[in-house]
Amino acid sequence: MASIDIAGITKNFGNIEVLHGIDLDIEDGEFIVLVGPSGCGKSTLLRMIAGLEEVSSGDITIAGRRVNDLAPRDRDIAMVFQSYALYPHMNVAGNMSYSLRLRRTAKDRIAQAVSGAAGKLGLEPLLDRRPKALSGGQRQRVAMGRAIVRQPKAFLFDEPLSNLDARLREQMRAEIKRLHAELGATSIYVTHDQIEAMTLADRIVAMQGGVVQQVGTPLDLYDRPANLFVAGFIGSPGMNFLPGRYDAAPGPAVILADGARIALPLDPGLAPGAEVTLGIRPEHVALGESGGMEAGVDLIEPTGLGIILHLSLQGVGLKAFTADRGVLNSGPSIRVSLPSAHLHLFDSAGNRVALR
Amino acid sequence: MTLAARPIEARPLMRRLAIAWEPYLYSAPTVILIVTVMLVPLVVGISYAFRDIQLLNPFSGGYVGLAHFRELWQDQAFFEALRNTVWWTGASVALQFFFGLILALLLNVPFAGRGLVQALVFLPWAVPSFLAGLNWAWLFNPVVGPLPHWLFALGILSSPENILSDPNLAMWGPIAANVWWGIPFFAITMLAAMQAIPADLYEAAAIDGAGPLQRFGSITLPFLAPTIAITVLLRTVWIANFADLIVVMTGGGPADRTQILASYIFTQAFKRLDFGYASAVSLVLLVLLLIYSLLIVALRQTVLNRS
Repeated sequence: MASIDIAGITKNFGNIEVLHGIDLDIEDGEFIVLVGPSGCGKSTLLRMIAGLEEVSSGDITIAGRRVNDLAPRDRDIAMVFQSYALYPHMNVAGNMSYSLRLRRTAKDRIAQAVSGAAGKLGLEPLLDRRPKALSGGQRQRVAMGRAIVRQPKAFLFDEPLSNLDARLREQMRAEIKRLHAELGATSIYVTHDQIEAMTLADRIVAMQGGVVQQVGTPLDLYDRPANLFVAGFIGSPGMNFLPGRYDAAPGPAVILADGARIALPLDPGLAPGAEVTLGIRPEHVALGESGGMEAGVDLIEPTGLGIILHLSLQGVGLKAFTADRGVLNSGPSIRVSLPSAHLHLFDSAGNRVALR
Repeated sequence: MTLAARPIEARPLMRRLAIAWEPYLYSAPTVILIVTVMLVPLVVGISYAFRDIQLLNPFSGGYVGLAHFRELWQDQAFFEALRNTVWWTGASVALQFFFGLILALLLNVPFAGRGLVQALVFLPWAVPSFLAGLNWAWLFNPVVGPLPHWLFALGILSSPENILSDPNLAMWGPIAANVWWGIPFFAITMLAAMQAIPADLYEAAAIDGAGPLQRFGSITLPFLAPTIAITVLLRTVWIANFADLIVVMTGGGPADRTQILASYIFTQAFKRLDFGYASAVSLVLLVLLLIYSLLIVALRQTVLNRS
């Protein structure tokens, strides 16, 4: 187990810089999720920590030791690949014990470690099988077993659940979380799936365009997104954004494009007339209350858990989520209001303006 | 579609026959070609082995049973050629494979100008074998070629003489030419097989703690094994039958020390014009190669079943 410090990391592929100075301190035993759209540099960062990509500048420190120039095998980390990368000509036990055999570990210690890991992952009946005789979920488990047998300082996961179907992904997600709670190992997990990020992470690192956009606990990112990117990326269905202008008198408010006035809970200290974006999560849009604004109902998507309404508010699209099935019978229009307690405000640069 | 919808009995006899014969008519040209150029000569050739066929003897042509094979059993030159064949084939295939594999490993590493180097490396394969043989014979000739002088300078030869005329060394001449000529084949096939190995397996192994040699041993080799088996099989059969270089460079000499079965058959058939005996030797070679092929195929199958 170890802490991992990343200081001023950049990465160039030829003349193109894909990571622009990443700083990140990961504490011992922490579960960190790197999340972002594809091409944001999250996998590259993970591969640099693993030693599979060279560091262009900056320092990576694992357990107090600078590892920039160390080979992957000398960093004492384990990695789970998206494709599992199991050795096809070795059986499950062989795959799991390979790293220990390379280190010339005593046979009884290897057997002990393999059966321990197999027990944790429910792989005992499969130890003699070869990877091609396993299902996707079983292969995933073997890949994890291979990582945990040698008790490394840190686990790196590169989109490990992307190749599984939705149900299995949910199951393995819970299993990874349980395993982390049990082993308490420092883990870095790369995914583009914000649900995986929310459910697994102690802290989420949201990345876009090779830059860290925000680091924080899942609820931090959900409740106080640092900018429009994080606000839009975290949460499903995504946050609604309504462009408008700030107005200070008579009270702090945002004037939407159609002239509607949305009151803000406090004075954000912006110049009157400044262009802003108002954000509100679909589940916070209040429906069917008197006094709100009139919105057209374009589409109704029942999910079972609740209902997603696609509304249009004076030509601007707005999504609302509610557990109230009464809205299924709503007519072509519905009254909506945007409660000031749940509003998010972003300035013209897209950065968060505190409202709470 | 409309034809199929009609009941069969309603069709006229000629039409039914035409439909029944249709597939055979389509495949007939190929079948006729294969039978006339492959099957018939094969059967005739095999029948020669049991007949006394000498081109210059008008009274020959009779059935002699197993007489050729009894003669073969007493023929010292045949067993010498058999030994030489094993030596020639084994050394050629082993060296071609070894250098081909190294070349493929080098070409599998990205570097500037790799495409050009890959294209150039495969050039020997495009050189006609008898031209390659003539050139190598000249290279080994101390009057025009540099090789004897270099080998002498390196202390490998005691004097700069033509190894092709030294009974103890002559076989190395055609083997060297054959290795040079055949390396590209192994390099191409090994490189193709290597490029099909997923890169993340090497990354996983690197993280697991495998060094370059261990990665080669536990990933590259197991992945290449089926390809190695099939290419070694193909090359062995091909080289065992490959007399061009030997006929051009040494003609089987000196003192039959480079005579392999293929060149022995060539000598028997086209120099002594004894087609019957040459066919008998061919038949023995064919049977030996068939046994060898079956062994390799069985070996490959067990390797494949294991993984």
